Amino acid sequence: MWQSCKALLWRDVQLAQRQGGGLGAALAFILAVLVLVPISVGPDLALLQRLAPGLMWLSLLLAVLLTADRMFQQDFEDGSLDLMTMAALPFELVVLTKFLGHWLTVSLPLALIAPPLGLMLNLDVASLPILWLSMFAGSLALSLLAGLGGAVTVGLRRGGLLVSLLIMPLYVPVLIFGVSATTMMMGPQSPVPSLLILVAITLVSLVVAPLASAAALRAYLQ
Amino acid sequence: MQKFANPVVFLKLANAVLPWVWVLTALLFAIGLYGALVSTPPDAVQGEAMRIMYIHVPAAWMGLFVYVLMAGFSAVALVYRHPLADAAAKTAAPLGAMFCFLALATGSIWGKPMWGTWWVWDARLTSMFVLMLLYMGYVAVWNAIDDPHLAAKIARIIALVGVINIPIVKFSVDWWNTLHQPASVFTMKGSKIDPSMLWALLVMALAYTFLFLALHLVSMRSEIAARKLRQLRSNEIGAR
Amino acid sequence: MDWAAHNAGYVLAAYGLSCVGLVAIALFIILQDRKNAKALRQQKD
Repeated sequence: MWQSCKALLWRDVQLAQRQGGGLGAALAFILAVLVLVPISVGPDLALLQRLAPGLMWLSLLLAVLLTADRMFQQDFEDGSLDLMTMAALPFELVVLTKFLGHWLTVSLPLALIAPPLGLMLNLDVASLPILWLSMFAGSLALSLLAGLGGAVTVGLRRGGLLVSLLIMPLYVPVLIFGVSATTMMMGPQSPVPSLLILVAITLVSLVVAPLASAAALRAYLQ
Repeated sequence: MQKFANPVVFLKLANAVLPWVWVLTALLFAIGLYGALVSTPPDAVQGEAMRIMYIHVPAAWMGLFVYVLMAGFSAVALVYRHPLADAAAKTAAPLGAMFCFLALATGSIWGKPMWGTWWVWDARLTSMFVLMLLYMGYVAVWNAIDDPHLAAKIARIIALVGVINIPIVKFSVDWWNTLHQPASVFTMKGSKIDPSMLWALLVMALAYTFLFLALHLVSMRSEIAARKLRQLRSNEIGAR
Repeated sequence: MDWAAHNAGYVLAAYGLSCVGLVAIALFIILQDRKNAKALRQQKD
């Protein structure tokens, strides 16, 4: 069982590498947001510094959301997903492995690249480590919930907008605790509680997302 | 189990109960509105604006209650494959969304004289807003998927994930709100609810509940008719 | 009565909006029910 999980994960990572698109496009999206923000609110450095952690979180979240509909689409269309339901592995585990593949190839790299890019918004250098930490802790939850969105809309031709509507409310807690960890670092309080709650949210998503996604995918495959 | 899900039994029951529910709704609204607008005294702190509470709070209660009810129907549908439960969840959603919208809109109107601004990112208003987004997503799923059986299966999942999400959102929004506490926010604790106001509030809440019940029954009747119609039409096409 | 001092405009707006919203959704549901029931009767004939 462990072997086939590893094989599946390796397949997904390799596919993502060869096809490209996912990570590159998401990164380009974050860069585009970085340009649009100063244009929309003005180049006031003090204001940008205040907004920077929140904006970096927001752009990370939206970038991951945009890759959601790709997570199962191809495997659904070419029939690989059908085969995976018949594998010896429990289907929930297959789905979880695919989520991990997405996390390794999209969310995690983005979470590592995004904080330094925040320096363009005059992000305080001292808040870089905590932003890295909070994004690292939250990125898995982002992948899991995006995957849930991708699963419930997999058979729909115009699912993009629906995914955003369905997943945004689920992203609210992740965003709140991700940002509050960084803003607390700036204040007198400790960021540890926020980070712990972020991890707790990730753990809850780790249970709920694969179960719900597997159920949705089965419904589409029937 | 399928035999108990008989829509005919449900329709008989609904048609028998409906007139009484309508009468009761009208009666409750008459008493509640009299209490809210005429008999209760204006609040010492807020004056007449307090009267908005009698429609704002019941709408907010119903917004939350209907979502939980909808998730309950979805869970029943998931466990017992009860076709009527899917119809109940589907028809409850637009009503719940309307209650949510009214809670937000009246809250905003109430906020203007109280806070001096139309919208404050207060914890309760923010969670209510997220709740309305959840309703909109649920309704959008039913609209986006053409096959009703598939739509029902996906909608169940969305409703159940949403109901897990609600307490988490509530908790995190409260946390976020204490972090950015604005200086002068009006709280309900500031003006305790007097018993003379409480009875009107409770009657209004009951009136909203019965209005929901009546509209939900009619809406389910309509949904059952629509399903039967679809089935008859597809049979007709099959027979040709 | 001094309307502005009593915030009567806001109270009126809130009650008016709630009334319009509830009546609108009620009418929509009831008309939909009528339409479906009628279509079903015609289909059966």
